[in-house]
Amino acid sequence: MRDRLAGVIPIGLAPAVLGVVAVVAGSLVLARGESDKHQDITVWTFSNTHYDTFMQTVPGFRHNADSDDIPVIDLQLVHYRVLDRRLRSTMWAGMDVPDLVEVNFNRAGTFFRGPVDKVGFIDLMPYLQRTDATGLTYLDRVLPSRLAAYTDRGRVFGLPHDVHPYVIAYRRDIFEAEGIDPDSIETWDDFIEVGRRLTIPDQRYMLQLDDTGVLSFEALLLQRGGGFFDSQGALTIDNETAVQTMLWFVPLVAGDQRISDNPAAQGQAFYKAIGDGYIVCFLCPDWLTKKIEMNLPQLAGKLALMPLPAVSPGGRRTTVRSGTMLGITADTPDPELAWELATYLYFDPAQVGPRFRQTNTLPANRDAWDDPVFREPRAYWSGQRIGELYIRLADQAPTQYSSPFQEQAAAKVGQAIAGACAYYRQHGDAGFETYVRDSLRDQAKAVRNQIQRNPF
Amino acid sequence: MWYRIQSRYAPYLFIAPFLLLFALFWAYPLVQSLRLSLYATSGPESQVYIGLDNFRFLLSDPDFHLAVWNTLIYALFVVVVQLPLSLGLAVLLNRPGLKLRNVFRFVFFSPHLMGTVFASVLFGLIFAPRFGVFNRVLHLLVGLPMNTRWLGDADLVMPAIIILSLWLNVGFYMIYLLAALQGVRPDLYEAARVDGAGSWTRFLHVTLPGIWPVLLFVLVISTIGAFRVFELPWLLLQSTTGPDQSGLFIVTYLYQNGFEAADLGYASAIGWLLTAGVMLLTLVQLRIGGLGRGGES
Repeated sequence: MRDRLAGVIPIGLAPAVLGVVAVVAGSLVLARGESDKHQDITVWTFSNTHYDTFMQTVPGFRHNADSDDIPVIDLQLVHYRVLDRRLRSTMWAGMDVPDLVEVNFNRAGTFFRGPVDKVGFIDLMPYLQRTDATGLTYLDRVLPSRLAAYTDRGRVFGLPHDVHPYVIAYRRDIFEAEGIDPDSIETWDDFIEVGRRLTIPDQRYMLQLDDTGVLSFEALLLQRGGGFFDSQGALTIDNETAVQTMLWFVPLVAGDQRISDNPAAQGQAFYKAIGDGYIVCFLCPDWLTKKIEMNLPQLAGKLALMPLPAVSPGGRRTTVRSGTMLGITADTPDPELAWELATYLYFDPAQVGPRFRQTNTLPANRDAWDDPVFREPRAYWSGQRIGELYIRLADQAPTQYSSPFQEQAAAKVGQAIAGACAYYRQHGDAGFETYVRDSLRDQAKAVRNQIQRNPF
Repeated sequence: MWYRIQSRYAPYLFIAPFLLLFALFWAYPLVQSLRLSLYATSGPESQVYIGLDNFRFLLSDPDFHLAVWNTLIYALFVVVVQLPLSLGLAVLLNRPGLKLRNVFRFVFFSPHLMGTVFASVLFGLIFAPRFGVFNRVLHLLVGLPMNTRWLGDADLVMPAIIILSLWLNVGFYMIYLLAALQGVRPDLYEAARVDGAGSWTRFLHVTLPGIWPVLLFVLVISTIGAFRVFELPWLLLQSTTGPDQSGLFIVTYLYQNGFEAADLGYASAIGWLLTAGVMLLTLVQLRIGGLGRGGES
């Protein structure tokens, strides 16, 4: 039988079987691929809280329209550590690119690299200039400082999701036990003074600050009017503001007089340190309040928020760092549909309340702030109206400018921080200022070398 | 007629799928990456020819220097510590009369079954300050402070990475060496014993020459593996290069440039320098290893 078949099939039995298997498998894969493509619009988000909110709100999109006009929306949660790489891969390959995608500020700038007309997101400015039902343009409604974060070479590539103002979250029970009135803390000097009283080395620290990266330093640099880049995209990590911030920051996190420790910048070790009372205060952007509620339920009623201490009396009582943008990819076949869904997700007044309750995140469109949800007291936060507090501070939020070289700058500043901390531990104040100036200058030079290589 | 055609062309048909895949996924990317290394890029679409500038910049790039230094330190420890440990374990497990040999073999090999990703995530917690298991044990044994930050102190990051690497790989390479040890002829040991050779002499003059080809193989692949290290530190340090870039390795730097900064040209240049370096090192190892074997025999 085998021999007879081999005689009939000129290429031989084995190749023929392999060929048949390949054809069948290929057909199945192709058929499956086709069936997966019955989506009108695909949305990616990296935030599980955003995902949960969108899952609830998406079914209401175009709910008054005829059934033929209701698009099939494929909402996907992609882990934040892989989202940008997966997005970049799809854009490079030109396949399976989502229509709408939420990107974190820290990664957003890298997508703006290269010739401006080849950026993978469409310019939203023409859409933002449109007037909505209230007679306002979208441009009027969005906080300008947040829009600037996603603007590059005059084009707006992302709709800001949030403001992310920072406050200080503190263990109210410990403050009360120690007789500390948070209202008496107006400036960082006041805060440090209290910190020296509360800090017991190796047992309790006043504040959690990141001394191995830029998470805390960048926020505090922005509070002082600095940043990694200015509005023109020029690197500013070695200007006088950066030097002075570093000189102030390092003694808080290194040396004998430090009031800060960093058991972890995030994750379970961070939560445990707060839960144990090892850390009394921490810098707290709006989104983190929700994470705290979820991860430290046992602290309900024991935590409270206060504005960030000012650098000097009457100064700015908040800062920002990072954020999320929603971009419409250049590959989308229907940008109008994508814009409509984007405005529905971000601007629809009916979504404001559920979204804030679910994420504790202050939206970047100012008109939403009138919603009563922001006045609701929160039992977890000792009955405080946390929405109201964040709104009160939002207008003071500094502008953080994006750059394709944001990550390189952050890495270099991180190196400068690590070096300065090591120097300060060893030498204290002696020669410290000179060291910081030289270090920041050297690190800035390395980033500028990278920037100058970029021919685009 | 058909038979003639079949016998003449069938071999080509058989190797055609391999050749096709080889050309598509190996040869073409290789040529393409060599071409890319001569371009400044922003993704695959935006490319500007810059000749050898990527290589010139690379040689003066302090981050690349740091990445090479860190990789060399890591590779050196892998060779100097990992290989003797693997060999030591293999020798212990090869002792005649050892009970529960298979159990020990499985115990030492099992970390490798866990995989780098899971192990890195797990060790992120084990190395945690204040309540991590590692600090607890060392605190009890030698009084190490509980808040020692293995992943937050630039001086401790490399030891932490090496510890995890040893935990993962010592048992894996032990299996190779154990198999080699079991292939050494027992009559050689007998003859050496009759000649009055002690255990150390027997190890030097019987065991080592007997397992030398496998030892050389393990040395070469573990060195190549050390130069390619990426996912272990990247995941252990939560997709960062750690404090003061103490966890920056060559492939990490390649990855950052290629897939985070979208500069495929620069990443290709890094890749080619790495390839050249690893090839050179491997040739040196094989040369020295070959000479050593010749001397022994």
